[in-house]
Amino acid sequence: MPTIAVDAMGGDFAPDAIVQGVAAVSLSTEIQCILVGNENRLQKLLEGVTYNPENIDIVNATEVIGMADDPKEAVRKRRDSSLLVATRLVESGRAAALVTAGNTGAAVLACAKHLPMIPGIRRVALASVYPRQVEYPGQDYLALILDVGATIRSDADELIQFAVMGSAYARRVSKVAAPRVGLLNMGREDNKGGEALVEAHRRLRSLQEVNFVGNLEGHELLSGRADVVVCEGLLGNVVLKLLEGLAEVVVELTAAAAQRSFRWRAGLAMLSSGVGRLRELTDYASYGGAPILGCQHVVIKAHGRSTALAIGNAVKVAAKAVRDQVPQEISAAVEKVG
Amino acid sequence: MALRSRRRADPAPPPPLIYRWDLDKTYLKSDFDSLRELVKIPFEKAEDKIAAPGVTALIRSLREAAERQGRDVYVQFISASPPQIGRAIREKLELDGVIYDDIIFKDQLNRLMRGKFRHLREQVGYKLTELLKARSHGSTIAREYLFGDDWESDPLIYSLYADVAAGRVGAADLGEILRAVHVDSPLVEEACALAESVTSADVVARIFINLERRTPPANFRSFGTRLAPTFNYFQTAACLFQEGVLDLVGVREVAASLLRESAYSPERLANSLADVQRRGHIDPASAVKLRDYLRAEQLLPLDGRSRAGRWRALARRIWARLHDWWSGRLATTPFLVDYRALVSRDRPGESS
Repeated sequence: MPTIAVDAMGGDFAPDAIVQGVAAVSLSTEIQCILVGNENRLQKLLEGVTYNPENIDIVNATEVIGMADDPKEAVRKRRDSSLLVATRLVESGRAAALVTAGNTGAAVLACAKHLPMIPGIRRVALASVYPRQVEYPGQDYLALILDVGATIRSDADELIQFAVMGSAYARRVSKVAAPRVGLLNMGREDNKGGEALVEAHRRLRSLQEVNFVGNLEGHELLSGRADVVVCEGLLGNVVLKLLEGLAEVVVELTAAAAQRSFRWRAGLAMLSSGVGRLRELTDYASYGGAPILGCQHVVIKAHGRSTALAIGNAVKVAAKAVRDQVPQEISAAVEKVG
Repeated sequence: MALRSRRRADPAPPPPLIYRWDLDKTYLKSDFDSLRELVKIPFEKAEDKIAAPGVTALIRSLREAAERQGRDVYVQFISASPPQIGRAIREKLELDGVIYDDIIFKDQLNRLMRGKFRHLREQVGYKLTELLKARSHGSTIAREYLFGDDWESDPLIYSLYADVAAGRVGAADLGEILRAVHVDSPLVEEACALAESVTSADVVARIFINLERRTPPANFRSFGTRLAPTFNYFQTAACLFQEGVLDLVGVREVAASLLRESAYSPERLANSLADVQRRGHIDPASAVKLRDYLRAEQLLPLDGRSRAGRWRALARRIWARLHDWWSGRLATTPFLVDYRALVSRDRPGESS
């Protein structure tokens, strides 16, 4: 079973939610976890919950990188932070993967600084998953979008690498033989979006290794047209936040409407099991986290607001990615593309 | 000078060791979570019964270590099971190669015949009186180690027994506590009479609670450091090594049996040792000795940390030890269990 280093001090509900999540995983699986953070505090928290000590180790770290800290400054100065100590455990080979719900920028920088990149990869990409419609049998109900913030602007070479990495990840994790890859753009036509997108489109179309379905417009994001959505970091981040915000607004509007009318309330009550299923599908906690792709090791970035359930799932995703040899798959795909 | 040499030549014999074990969920992996499983138990044969991982190796090693140290050893089992299943249990112990001196069963049928239905589920009064009866025959210089689990009321029973034997809880207080946990009057009276008759001696060195249900260890804090909740018998063996009643060879036997027979990995053992150390049940010096020995025996994984990392960890442990000592965590004065507070709320270690 793989060993997963978990940044226990990163995230809005850390360390409590992280400890509870890892404790739950220790009881239900054989995954070995290393909790990294304030040893005394983590131990005290652990002793208050049901856990299996045979599957948990604790490594002390005296510093913490906060969610609001400047990533560059924090990674440079806080060498004994839980995030950096956990990353070094992966670097040294003591752990096979890293899970963090902490500062995203710092996580990306820590990986770029300490973990070796896959040969040929220029920049790491932060991926995320979101629920959308399903169009063909066996299609994963979650689509992968990258990059969502590791970079700001990307050139054609980098966009192509994101497509190759995303495709390889989806192949292994979602078990889709030839995942559909789309390029997020302002129109379907191949001459839209500026130099980098036009160039990326042209080259992706000729790549045998990627099942490229062309440009994807904003309204197609929630359709099943693409399994992997490729875009530059700035755009990806805006899209991700928009989707999250939209989901919250829908929930709030529904609740407000139900308060105003009895008929709506009754209708909602009748749909409650369906709404529950929908909430389950769209709940980020159920899919844990998303990968930072491009390193030779598995790195899973969990949502900043991760609950114990989300952390547990993020650990399971990390273990699955290690078992499925995702970095090796990406490396082989990159080598093929050249 | 002459006196000193005489003392060297004729040292006092080491105190005898008494190990008192619960049977179900402590020695045996008994499944009686459902009525069906409960009904099955009397019909089980010795070969159907399964011992908890590492427990047979631990009991055997404790006896062998005592023999190497030239100490008398006495192993007793106290079970709440009826004597009707005694044959299968005795055969099971024989099959496991466990040598014991005494085994006590709860005579359920006799109680049933006398119309004492409530006694059937009663544990606290029954076990405490049996322990006190055994104590009244035991040596006052013996060191006792008690082994139970987190299913019934073992933490409360064993702690009460230790404090009654030491004279820290008197007969009147004991009666009050037992009544508060709804022990039947005849058993309360019997326990109080026994408490008055036993010679006071602080004989109980440690109490081990096998966390079969994975009860959070924090639930046992109110019992003090005398009681060590352990997740597996390797952790128990590590604590007994620190107590000086189990040697390195004995711990090795327990570790090896877990690796060989229960599909443990060296990593799982290493994590277990680190956990019991972090919880303060063994000191850093004993843990280091154990780690070094078991690594050399290839039962624990090699230390993957850098030299600087190991030094940092050692410095942290020394600091933690100093801090513990300063804050009185490892105080030598006996920890006084507040039984009134304990019985006034749900009994710790028990699930509702």
